[in-house]
Amino acid sequence: MYYIHAIASITHQNSFRVDNIINELKPIEKDSDLISPDYKEFIPGAALRRLSPVLRIGLTTSIEVKNKVNKDFDAISVGTALGCLKDTEKFLTTFHTSTSDFLSPTAFIQSTHNTIGGQISLGLGNHAYNMTHTQNNLSFEVALIDAMMCVNEGKSNVLVGAADEHIPFLETLQPKLVSNQYPLSTGASFFAISGKKNNIGVKAVKTNFNSASTQEDLVNFLSEQNMTLNDVDVVLNSSDTVQIPSTCDSIDYLNFSGLHYSASAFALHIAHDYLIEKKKKTALIINDMCSGKTGFMLVQSDEA
Amino acid sequence: MKIYITGYGLISSIGMNADESLVSLKNHSTGIEDARLETMKGYKVGAIHATNEELKEKFDIKTNCSRTALLGIIAAKQAFNGHPLSNEIRTGLISGTSVGGMDVSEVEYKNYLDGENHNPDNYKHHSSGVSSEQMAAEIGATDFVNTISTACSSAANALMMGARMINNGLLDRVVVGGTDALTKFTISGFKSLMIFDEEWCRPFDESRKGLNLGEGAGYVVLESEKSISLSKQKPVAMLSGWSNASDSFHQTASSQDGHGAQLSMQEALNVAGLKPEDIDYINAHGTATPNNDLSESQAIKKIFKSRIPPFSSTKAYTGHTLAASGGIEAVFAILAIQNGYIYPNLNFRNAIEETGLIPQLKFSENNKVKHVLSNSFGFGGNNSTVIISAV
Amino acid sequence: MSDLRETLKEQIIEQLNLEDLTPADITNEGPLFGDDGLGLDSIDALEFIVLLESNYNIKIADPSEGKEIFHSVDSLAAYIEKNQ
Repeated sequence: MYYIHAIASITHQNSFRVDNIINELKPIEKDSDLISPDYKEFIPGAALRRLSPVLRIGLTTSIEVKNKVNKDFDAISVGTALGCLKDTEKFLTTFHTSTSDFLSPTAFIQSTHNTIGGQISLGLGNHAYNMTHTQNNLSFEVALIDAMMCVNEGKSNVLVGAADEHIPFLETLQPKLVSNQYPLSTGASFFAISGKKNNIGVKAVKTNFNSASTQEDLVNFLSEQNMTLNDVDVVLNSSDTVQIPSTCDSIDYLNFSGLHYSASAFALHIAHDYLIEKKKKTALIINDMCSGKTGFMLVQSDEA
Repeated sequence: MKIYITGYGLISSIGMNADESLVSLKNHSTGIEDARLETMKGYKVGAIHATNEELKEKFDIKTNCSRTALLGIIAAKQAFNGHPLSNEIRTGLISGTSVGGMDVSEVEYKNYLDGENHNPDNYKHHSSGVSSEQMAAEIGATDFVNTISTACSSAANALMMGARMINNGLLDRVVVGGTDALTKFTISGFKSLMIFDEEWCRPFDESRKGLNLGEGAGYVVLESEKSISLSKQKPVAMLSGWSNASDSFHQTASSQDGHGAQLSMQEALNVAGLKPEDIDYINAHGTATPNNDLSESQAIKKIFKSRIPPFSSTKAYTGHTLAASGGIEAVFAILAIQNGYIYPNLNFRNAIEETGLIPQLKFSENNKVKHVLSNSFGFGGNNSTVIISAV
Repeated sequence: MSDLRETLKEQIIEQLNLEDLTPADITNEGPLFGDDGLGLDSIDALEFIVLLESNYNIKIADPSEGKEIFHSVDSLAAYIEKNQ
């Protein structure tokens, strides 16, 4: 088991510095704002002024997690589906429209996907392993697999999370390239995980990049854990492709996170808080936001 | 667990495959020259002189993809050539890239800004993850697909993650490396940072001014012992050491004393169970920026002390291929081990005053090359080192 | 004279995204860079080069020259007056 020792999320829900978010969740509305803290509490002004939303939320949630565990991370693994879109778009506009010999560099520097991880390392003065994974809807799952390997390899305090941001331009890509089923959103969720025992942990994660059927993959995944859906208390689903037994609670997590392709990270936060609030044992997160690419996370409570 | 390397492939401005690359390396023949494409005029770059259509025809590739994905497919196919697929060998692909499909997106976005002929469908190539999925599909390595995006250390990090997935029992075989095409985005980006050299770059030289960009892709196939017993592939080298550490100094610059670089080199040696004196050749990151080369030199001195092995940067040959560099340089390392070669650091005249270090000056044969250490350092202080060893 | 300095302060705030500052917060003679100053760094030095070119048509080809020129609002104003 890979135990969760701290979580922080900044989303369109009241999710930051809330003991248990389950009763705070409301269906996301289009054009709703992020519910964010005063970033100045976390990031000095000289650094903050440059930072785009995805950088602010990634860094702030990481600092919050660090403060909660009060221990340096010995590995950092970040997932992001589309990276730093605001700065990418800004720099594209800069070099396409500028007639000058000199170009403003800040947006370029901040356009690389690993700026999130890089800012975390700088903000925390952290020299440890620092990785950025980008694999569309499974960006958080692969980051988590990396973090789990770090724990297997002896790391005792691993930061893992994902962040993505919405920019208006994404709306031009709907509905073909980007789904329009849910409002587009921004969000970051970060976790401290460890082999050291705690209440809730991630039991297993699996990805399938060649999926013919989410249902089939799901059955296989659970049977590898010697389980069936009847052993699951709550399913957090990114779509309704899977048949859930009536004994199982069901949460449509994109309804709360909105649509960004690493939203399964927030699903893990929801699952964690659900198990505690409802005193249940097993949560299953199903991610098939992109056709043919499925991800599963099995989350359990040791104390329920 | 031993990590075997059983295949390699690369494409860059100095060759469309390993054999062509070796000819260039031996002849001190650089791929860097004045850019021929209109979008890059005025810069010295290591470009691959073929259009996407020409490359697709030459390598018989039909996938509709970005140039980054195309270069990746070419190199990954070379690496995986002859490897049998099997249900018993869990095979994945982990690729590093910094630009992904930006070569397509930047053209499309210009149409958007101009208000003409904008086709949103073309952004389907943009995501870095998509390029890796296309590569994996092309060679059948779809049991696991991941993309690492840590700028210039991406490919080295892909090698590291591949090895760890094998060690953790999650995969038996994995194709790892990196790819990046030249784009106006990156050329404009490095221009904004004012770290280009208008002339041919001079790694580790006192008068160095900056880097020349390049494009390319480099991949290797990693296999476990179990995988080799099934695939029957002959190992050409071992991936014996790897590491990643954070400099945590500045968003773009490396610390003066190369702290992060020291950490990554030392940790890679630890993983390999080697001492510094066991290294026969260092393929340095050596981008020729004032900052990197000094920082990396200081780190090399700290780790290797008075016994610094022959070292060179091959970026004066290929240009800085960003995320692909660690993959391309891993292939160079394998070829060095197989053939006893040490590559020269082209265009060097005078040592950096603060360090006095002199790199390898001429292509050299008949060396005992058992262990090669290769550095790749990315923006945001992401420092990675891999060690490749003889079987 | 003082108009240039006031204009420069506004331009600096805009180019460098110093969202919390007003021109009144920036002195003419105080250091701009480092912890003693406004906490500006080497990325800001490049932004200054862009500022000089786009607003004053002055090109600085070598970023290392910037250290002296961008030391303070006074030194920046003096450089502009000399090179326009």
